Amino acid sequence: MDATTDAPDQDPQQQSLISDFETLSLTTDPLINTAAAAADTDTTTLTSLDDLCYELTSLQDLACKGSWLSVLDKVSRARNLSLLSLPHEHLTYATFNILALSKLRRFSEAASELSSLDDLNSSIYHFETYPQHYPNRTGSFVPFSLRFLHADIPSKLGNRNETLDRLYLLLDFVRTKLDEKMNQKLVNSVNEWRRREIFVMNCLIGHHLSHKEFSVTLKLVTELIRRDSDDVIMLSKLGYIQMQLGDLDGSKRSFDLVEELIKAGKGGALWSEVQLRNLVSRNKALEYLVAKDYVSAVREYDECVERDGSDIVAINNKALSLMYLRDLADSVKVLESSLESVPTVALNETLVVNLCSMYELAYVNHPDIKRTLSKWIARVAPDDFDASCTRI
Amino acid sequence: MSGATAGSHSLAFRVMRLCRPSFHVETPLLVNPNDLFFGEDLHDDLSLSSRLNDLTSSLFHDSDSDLSYNSNFEVRDVTIKAEIQTERQRILLLDTSKSPVESIRAGGRYDFIVEHDVKELGGHTLVCTALYSDGEGERKYLPQFFKFNVSNPLSVRTKVRVVKETTFLEACIENHTKSNLFMDQVEFEPAQHWTVTTLKADEHSSENNTLSREIFKPPIIIRSGGGIQNYLYQLKSSAQGSTHTKLEGSIVLGKLQITWRANLGEPGRLQTQQILGSPILRKEIELQVAVVPSVIIFERPFLVQLNLINQTDRTLGPFEVRLSQSDSMEKAVMVNGLQKMAVPQVDAFASTKFHVNLIATKLGVQKVTGFMVFDMHEKRAYDLSPDLEIFVGSDVAHQVGEQQPA
Repeated sequence: MDATTDAPDQDPQQQSLISDFETLSLTTDPLINTAAAAADTDTTTLTSLDDLCYELTSLQDLACKGSWLSVLDKVSRARNLSLLSLPHEHLTYATFNILALSKLRRFSEAASELSSLDDLNSSIYHFETYPQHYPNRTGSFVPFSLRFLHADIPSKLGNRNETLDRLYLLLDFVRTKLDEKMNQKLVNSVNEWRRREIFVMNCLIGHHLSHKEFSVTLKLVTELIRRDSDDVIMLSKLGYIQMQLGDLDGSKRSFDLVEELIKAGKGGALWSEVQLRNLVSRNKALEYLVAKDYVSAVREYDECVERDGSDIVAINNKALSLMYLRDLADSVKVLESSLESVPTVALNETLVVNLCSMYELAYVNHPDIKRTLSKWIARVAPDDFDASCTRI
Repeated sequence: MSGATAGSHSLAFRVMRLCRPSFHVETPLLVNPNDLFFGEDLHDDLSLSSRLNDLTSSLFHDSDSDLSYNSNFEVRDVTIKAEIQTERQRILLLDTSKSPVESIRAGGRYDFIVEHDVKELGGHTLVCTALYSDGEGERKYLPQFFKFNVSNPLSVRTKVRVVKETTFLEACIENHTKSNLFMDQVEFEPAQHWTVTTLKADEHSSENNTLSREIFKPPIIIRSGGGIQNYLYQLKSSAQGSTHTKLEGSIVLGKLQITWRANLGEPGRLQTQQILGSPILRKEIELQVAVVPSVIIFERPFLVQLNLINQTDRTLGPFEVRLSQSDSMEKAVMVNGLQKMAVPQVDAFASTKFHVNLIATKLGVQKVTGFMVFDMHEKRAYDLSPDLEIFVGSDVAHQVGEQQPA
């Protein structure tokens, strides 16, 4: 990063504020670039993630590409060559390492590394324990995803009950933090902790749902809807669960409510208009699917894909509808062309499982065809893609 | 099948049961960049917070794909048949002999869907046959067999209990399938002369949230592989014993109609056989308690009014009523005065009131049991126990007197 970039135009008032920041001694805080401070530019401008942690940009890059093996290499190298100087960097790298191991389904190794860490609530992971490194900075530097991994990994090693216990404890922890931050009126922090609360609740919903524990799942889902009755995504999820159960009247009520909310301009700041319209269409298509009106379902999905060519849920479900219409040739074509045109979203285990089932049905020589697909996947897929889904 | 020969085939049947698709439940390992790159409390620092979000970004990559097919020979004049065979019957599902498929090109397919409502239990075989001319003009016959078993999705256990004049039916439904079942309707269809009320448990107060009720009614789901759900029905008879429908001596109460939905609304239906109950033995006479004083004091006589009801279609009596002889233990409540009371005749389906003078010899809650009613005319004795529980208090004035200082 170039420490001598031109400072943006500042009025004198602002300039003095910046000086104050300097004198308040964040000059030696490694979370602000010290070189920039020395060059008397706007020292509170973080220009890259590297300002916060050693080579964090590179780690981010590898993570986004799914190059988890490279992440492991990078962490190992940093540790071997003692490239990390600060406590928070060690913990961030440890988190990346554990995440990478989990993505690669090497859960025992991930669990080993987790157990080598101290209790995450220990003062060892607080800035104030190291005043020489972090003057005037307080709080925990534990990345929240580390807590999540700590809770989630036991279930991957066969101990589901431990994971559920830890997730509920984590939820409690998050709520305590939320209360603290609200009392301190730290608005940005409150938003982050609120997001984490919803994240943990969604994890619990996923766990309970995958074990068909519908009563608990529905309680959690309705709790989330109660907090935000305009949450069209959660309402749609409620509809899917009701549909899965067979409560078709219930799912229709949920989907109708979603459509009403979206028409009224509500429905979530996080999704674009196209995404929201596609949500309504996909919900409608599911109702057609369940009523065995596959032609109408295909029509709805076609509209979705026209609006958004990367709507992989619509693409997958359209292929299934075609299959039910005995148009196996087209259903295979839909999935194959999605892998060609939007591979980053299309290359997921569910779609590949469906495509392989269709191959098994359509071709006597399906092992050869599946092998061709497998080879392509091996060339382009991220490290964490579970290749066993091709069932070769 | 003249001219058809055995040997290797150019065709093969591939069969897949078209169940409803299931939703894929993902518990993906995905984390928010804010939870990975930064410590959890870093957003407390307002000066950093807004800049942190700007720094996270994502990258995508692109690539090519290449998939190809192979091919061989064409087959012609394909006659396809599909049939379900069970122990009891054979049902033809498809037969293209009147308009055979002209040709199936090399590497090509002929897709068809057959549907069958499974109504029998036990082994089933789907027999698919193809009669066709291969690449060399030879007539070939290909039979393929797909076996599957059909078992009962639910078992229903019932218990009939008779309490006084009401018959209660307990039904326990057990789910033997591999999927959870959403119970649409579980209704009891009563036989003639019976009326039914479904009894439901009181709801827990925490479930009475009107907001969530607007969106969502909690469903009744029976979990897969052995889950159970119990139902309770109250049945009342509107006729005498003799007019009820009977089956081998027992009274026919009715049938249970059960409809449910499985994965994505896949419907199912079951009707039980006739559920039988035992006939209600109506007592000929009954003794009911009409009036009891609100305060009953230890060793002070009190009057109880009783009602003697004649439940038969003829005049009964006159009667003699007394408390029955108990075992050696002294009764807590005894008749004060004449041990026998005379009660006049009672007409058919009528009743008569009379008083009994009682005295309690023990404090606290006492049960009054064992009234012997003797029909003087028919020389029949009835041992009846009306529901009579009393609270015997001590003499209040006597208590106050005891508390006065010496």
